[in-house]
Amino acid sequence: MRPFDYLAPQSVEDAVAALAENSPDARALAGGTDLLVDLKHETASAGLLVDLTRIAECRGIEESADGLRFGSLATHTEIMESELVRKYAPSMIDAARTVGAVQTRNLGTLGGNLVTCVPSLDSGPVLVALDAQVTIAGIGGRRRMPLTEFFVGPRKTALEKGEILVDIIIPRANLGKPCSFRKFGLRKGQALALVNVAAAARVLDGRIAGARIALGAVAPTVIRAREAEALLDGEAPDPTLIAKAAEIAVTEAKPIDDFRASAAYRCELIRALTGRVLNEAIEQAAR
Amino acid sequence: MDVTITVNGKERSAAVPPETTLLTMLRTNLGLTGAKLGCDVGDCGACTVLVDGEPVNACLMLAAQVDGREVVTIEGLSGFQTLSPLQEMFDLFSSFQCGFCAPGMIISAKALLDKNSSPTVAEVREALAGNLCRCTGYTKIIDAVMEVGARTAAGAERA
Repeated sequence: MRPFDYLAPQSVEDAVAALAENSPDARALAGGTDLLVDLKHETASAGLLVDLTRIAECRGIEESADGLRFGSLATHTEIMESELVRKYAPSMIDAARTVGAVQTRNLGTLGGNLVTCVPSLDSGPVLVALDAQVTIAGIGGRRRMPLTEFFVGPRKTALEKGEILVDIIIPRANLGKPCSFRKFGLRKGQALALVNVAAAARVLDGRIAGARIALGAVAPTVIRAREAEALLDGEAPDPTLIAKAAEIAVTEAKPIDDFRASAAYRCELIRALTGRVLNEAIEQAAR
Repeated sequence: MDVTITVNGKERSAAVPPETTLLTMLRTNLGLTGAKLGCDVGDCGACTVLVDGEPVNACLMLAAQVDGREVVTIEGLSGFQTLSPLQEMFDLFSSFQCGFCAPGMIISAKALLDKNSSPTVAEVREALAGNLCRCTGYTKIIDAVMEVGARTAAGAERA
C-alpha cells in the first residue's frame, strides 16, 4: 500500500472533524475488508485513514427507545451471536451468516457493508424489508434517513464528504415482524449473491398487512418491489396470490448479464426466491 | 508509529509505518513467518491468526489497529519439539500436500474447537470456508479436525 497517515479518534465528533480537516484526502476505516483491498489494488487512495474502530458510540447492538440499534461497527459475527437480534430480527442472522467467511465476518462491519454499497450487499434486503433507518454524522451535525434513501447507486450512498454512518435502527414497530431472507450464490462460502431477497409481512385478521419485498443484486441498489407489495396488502394469504406477487417482483427488477449469471437466470431466481421468502414470512406470521 | 502487541503470550513492539498490515509486522518485523502471504485481499485465509481469540485475516488489519491486543499465530500452538493435538492429527492424516495453507487451516480449526470441542462436519466446513487449499486436500483436513473433536469427546487433551 502507498503510505498514508493514521488517526484513531475515540469519538464521532473527533472523527468527523479529522475527516473534514483533511478532506478530500481522508478516508474512514471500519472493518477494512473493502477499503484495505481497494488501497492495495490502488482503486482507492488516501492520505489519511481515520480509523473508526475505537469509537465506543459506534459499537454494540442494543435495544433503544427507537427500536433495535446496531452501532455501525457491529461485526457480522456480533450480529450472528446477539441474543437481541435472535429475539427481534432473526433474519438478520441468516443474512450475516452468508457474508464472506469466518475471518471476514469477524472483521467486516454492518456499517461498512452498507457504506461500500455494492448492489449485492447481503445486509441490505432484511434491513430494507424491516424499514431500517440510519444515522449519519458530519461536522454540521446529525441526520437520520430511511436506509432506502441512504442507498443512492452502486458504491454510492447519501454520505457527503466527511460524513460517517453512526448507527442503523430497526424501528420498534417492526421488532419481531415476520421476515425471511434467502441468498443464491455460486458457492456456499465466499460467494457474492446472484440474487438476495428478503420479505416481511404480518397477517392480521386473516389478511396480509405491511408486506415488504426487498431485492438485492438485481438493480443498482437494493430495491423494494412495491407493486408486488401492494398486490399482497389486504388480501388473504394464498399460494396463487404469492406466485403472482413473485412474478410481479421480477418485472420490478433490472438484473444484468455478467460472467456470474445471465439476466434471464437471475429473473428465474428472483421469482423462485421471492415466492419462498414470502411463504416463509407468512408462515411465521400465521404461527 | 510504535505498535505493541502480545504475540503468543509475549509482549512485542515494533516501529512501523502506518500502512503496515498486521501480517507484514508479524513476518517482517517480528520474524514470525508461520502466517503466510497468499492472496493479500482476504480470500485465501493463509494469513489467518487469532486476535483476541477470534480468527481474522492478518492481511486485512493494520498493525496499528492491533496495538494493545493479543495475537496468536501458528508458532504459539506448540513447543519447539512438541505438536498440539491438531498438528498431530493433521500429520497423522497426511492432511497437507504443499503445506502453504496449513498454518491458516490449523488456526481456523483451533478457533472452532476452542468454542465447540466436538463439532459436526457441517460446522467444520463452515469454520474452514475462508481457508483455501489449492492441492484439493479438504477431505483429509476435515477428517483431522473431526478426529481431534472425537478424541476430546473421549477425554483427551483439548486442541
